[in-house]
Amino acid sequence: MLWSVVITMLAGAVAGCLGALLGIGGGVFLTPFLNLVVGLPLASAGGVSLITIIATSSVTSAKAGRLQVVNLRLGMVLEVFTTSGALVGILLIHRLSEATLRLAFAWTMAAIAVVMLSRIDRRNVILDSAVDVGRLGGRYHEDESGGEIAYRVKRLPVAFSASFLAGVVSRMGLGGGVLKVPALNAWCGVPLRAAAATSALMLGATAMVGAVDAYVRGEIVPELAAGAVLGVLAGSQLGFALAARSKAKSHKLLMVLVLAAVAVIYFIEAAR
Amino acid sequence: MSDDPQLQRLEHQIGRLLRAGVLVSATALAAGLALAAVAGGHGSKPLLNAGLLLLIAIPITRIIASFIDAVRRRDTLLTWSTAAVLAVLTLLVIYSTYGR
Repeated sequence: MLWSVVITMLAGAVAGCLGALLGIGGGVFLTPFLNLVVGLPLASAGGVSLITIIATSSVTSAKAGRLQVVNLRLGMVLEVFTTSGALVGILLIHRLSEATLRLAFAWTMAAIAVVMLSRIDRRNVILDSAVDVGRLGGRYHEDESGGEIAYRVKRLPVAFSASFLAGVVSRMGLGGGVLKVPALNAWCGVPLRAAAATSALMLGATAMVGAVDAYVRGEIVPELAAGAVLGVLAGSQLGFALAARSKAKSHKLLMVLVLAAVAVIYFIEAAR
Repeated sequence: MSDDPQLQRLEHQIGRLLRAGVLVSATALAAGLALAAVAGGHGSKPLLNAGLLLLIAIPITRIIASFIDAVRRRDTLLTWSTAAVLAVLTLLVIYSTYGR
């Protein structure tokens, strides 16, 4: 037990560091590790991963200057979709066999890799500060440019669907930020920083749903979860420090490769 | 920063809640793990469970606080959306406990 707590803590540190570096929850790394290396069933590995996602979501959202960029109104409306999606995901996960789940996980990983690959060269949208932001839009002050950024949320059904989908896959220990952020940014007109910060805050509520389910069912091994949380918290501090001075593009490419590798491993496991 | 000064106040409160919640929970988890390592696990379980439950409680507290705040500000959109999330949470607890 002590040994598996130690390696879980180290894996958490790596996941937390990569997560902070890439601006994601890190569940895409931690879940397969706990499932394949530590040997937890996928639902249990997902539960532990979700607990760590609540911690990273809280820490990233509370970082200086981050909460001001969060679009609270939009986030809370979209949380209705992520949490109800998460509820559907829970109904599904307990009806599927471990083998089917692994296949579902492999397809999700592959899909996320494709989404990431298609967005490697995307940049932020330039915005007009005189725009009427409407009920769900937002406005914030950007320090780098010294200007005021204002935006209106377009194509709400896309935001709703992406949030719901992110919720459905969340029980497998994935925050789904890689689905929500590109959708909000590319289709709904939300600036990248606001999309990422809003998604990070929503992660907490989304992950909470699956975490409550896993906890109530006794699928969370407290020692492993504690080790993972502490590892992730330490690793994410390192990640933030590294992220401040390095290029985003090579990270994204690295992540696509890791995701593709994990997907392939799961496809092979499922085929056996 | 949001235009609405009242929404700004909520932003500050949420920030404080998130920071304090993680700090207290991580302390309990670290103490629990230390106890598990040195004392052979005696007394570590309650600390570990308290730490995990505290962590899970952070987003729930944020949603309840936002709901109360929205009701007070007569913000219909946020009142309904936070209430819907709380309804999902209630359904979930019922299902996870009884629906096996």
